[in-house]
Amino acid sequence: MSNNNEKVLIKGNYAIAQAAVNAGCQCYFGYPITPQTEIGEYLSGKMQELGRGYVCAESELAAINMVIGAVSTGVKAMTSSSSCAVALMQEALSYACGDELPVVLVNVMRAGPGLGYIYPAQGDYNQSVYGGGNGDYKIIVIAPSTVQECIDYTYKAFYLAHKYRNPVILLADGLLGQMMEPACFGEYPYPEIDNSSWALTGAKGREARAIYSLGPIESKQIERIERIFKKFELITKNETDWEEFQTEDAEIILTAFGSMTRNIKAAMKVLREKGIKAGCFRPITLNPFPHKRIEELASEGKDFVVVEMNMGQMFKDVKYSVNGKSNVELVNRPVGEWLRVEEIVSAVEKIMEKNYAASI
Amino acid sequence: MEKNFILAGFGGQGILLAGTVLANAFMLDDKKVTWYPCYGAEMRGGTVNCEVVVSDTEVSSVHKKDCDYALVLNQQSFDRFVNNVKSGGTVIANSTLVAETKPREDIHYVFAPMGELANDLGTSKVTNIISLGVLASVADIISKNALKLAVEKVLGSKKKELLPLNLKALEVGSELVANV
Repeated sequence: MSNNNEKVLIKGNYAIAQAAVNAGCQCYFGYPITPQTEIGEYLSGKMQELGRGYVCAESELAAINMVIGAVSTGVKAMTSSSSCAVALMQEALSYACGDELPVVLVNVMRAGPGLGYIYPAQGDYNQSVYGGGNGDYKIIVIAPSTVQECIDYTYKAFYLAHKYRNPVILLADGLLGQMMEPACFGEYPYPEIDNSSWALTGAKGREARAIYSLGPIESKQIERIERIFKKFELITKNETDWEEFQTEDAEIILTAFGSMTRNIKAAMKVLREKGIKAGCFRPITLNPFPHKRIEELASEGKDFVVVEMNMGQMFKDVKYSVNGKSNVELVNRPVGEWLRVEEIVSAVEKIMEKNYAASI
Repeated sequence: MEKNFILAGFGGQGILLAGTVLANAFMLDDKKVTWYPCYGAEMRGGTVNCEVVVSDTEVSSVHKKDCDYALVLNQQSFDRFVNNVKSGGTVIANSTLVAETKPREDIHYVFAPMGELANDLGTSKVTNIISLGVLASVADIISKNALKLAVEKVLGSKKKELLPLNLKALEVGSELVANV
């Protein structure tokens, strides 16, 4: 389980943890919570072995603020948690974005609201993409769908966080965290980012620096917010990522994020066998969201069905992108057992009938 | 082609480990595979299960409605999962702890005294590995050689001394079905 090309059968949580090690994460701070506890468990031994930092914090609030402290010095650091405990970290995410700090947070989603339970869900789309912190801020959000992607996107999370000095959330779920699949770690594929121009490393021999989000002078605060949003425009231009399958001739496009992607791909195949021209569209970055591409597809008259394990959170973003140019429907379940392929297929068939009836 | 397996038994019978060995065997055989455990407030003595899905292309979903093969090591698991087997599928049961009943006519049954055979080898702890041997003789998709390598891989260097016993268990299991 290290820097090599050997295929190993590994759990999503352990894959994320080892990928963080390979990415050069120097410090991990966390507090246990199912279904992501294996991340902290693994790193508690590994970080000590490597002479890196590991703290089992007294709370999630403490953990993310420790990450803020660590990354202020320019090193790579992360925390991981799950839904209701990530809720406790929202204030810090707003600070980290305001401070322009490369915080990496892994959220292995479980069921909400409130304490919920440990079975998987996708109810933190809004929490991640729109955030629960104060003020205007933006977080980069990446959603993996396989264990291999847990590795690839953990690497990417560290890279993007440092490249843009912006917090990144890796949004996984209980299903991915607990499943085992063959995967390869390879090498951390991104260049190292030089943080020496801003990191707090002691002011000996140079002018003192400070990192803060306090903005008593209005004009300076406006400047700061505009800089953050301009930066996010650049991120949107460079980093918006998605995958699509058989959308060219599709009449109806199934859309999902994270591990639900697997089920819509399978449903698409079944629908195609039944003679229904179905395609798949899967946003990989949830923020920035691939609005433009969805709009293009909608302009060609293709309808959308959003399949997700929540009450329709990404559904709203797809609807926003489509902007009335075609039909958008939701197929969902709030929490628990993932929508089965056959359930998705029959829901899509019903929608097709309804749309057809409405068109004549 | 995608096939899925449910492995179930008492907590402590080594179900998750058996699933891990099976998933490793598929990986060593260059197949795409996903292992998914039931996780929740499980406890020793309660029931535990895991799902292993194998495919030539990519594994779509886990949590499938029906399975092609159910490997059950105790009565509760038999009662629970016999209805989840696809029509034409197979349930493979440890007859040491499972009564030999056939509640459905559209599926195949393989009953094997896995627990007794394990005791004959000196410990009931290898029931799970014997069960994998049985499973491999029933399900063509499992390569017996890959299964051997998988046992070796999962035991690793730390538990190397247990390898001969486990390989023997695998052999006993795979020879059994010819007699069933």
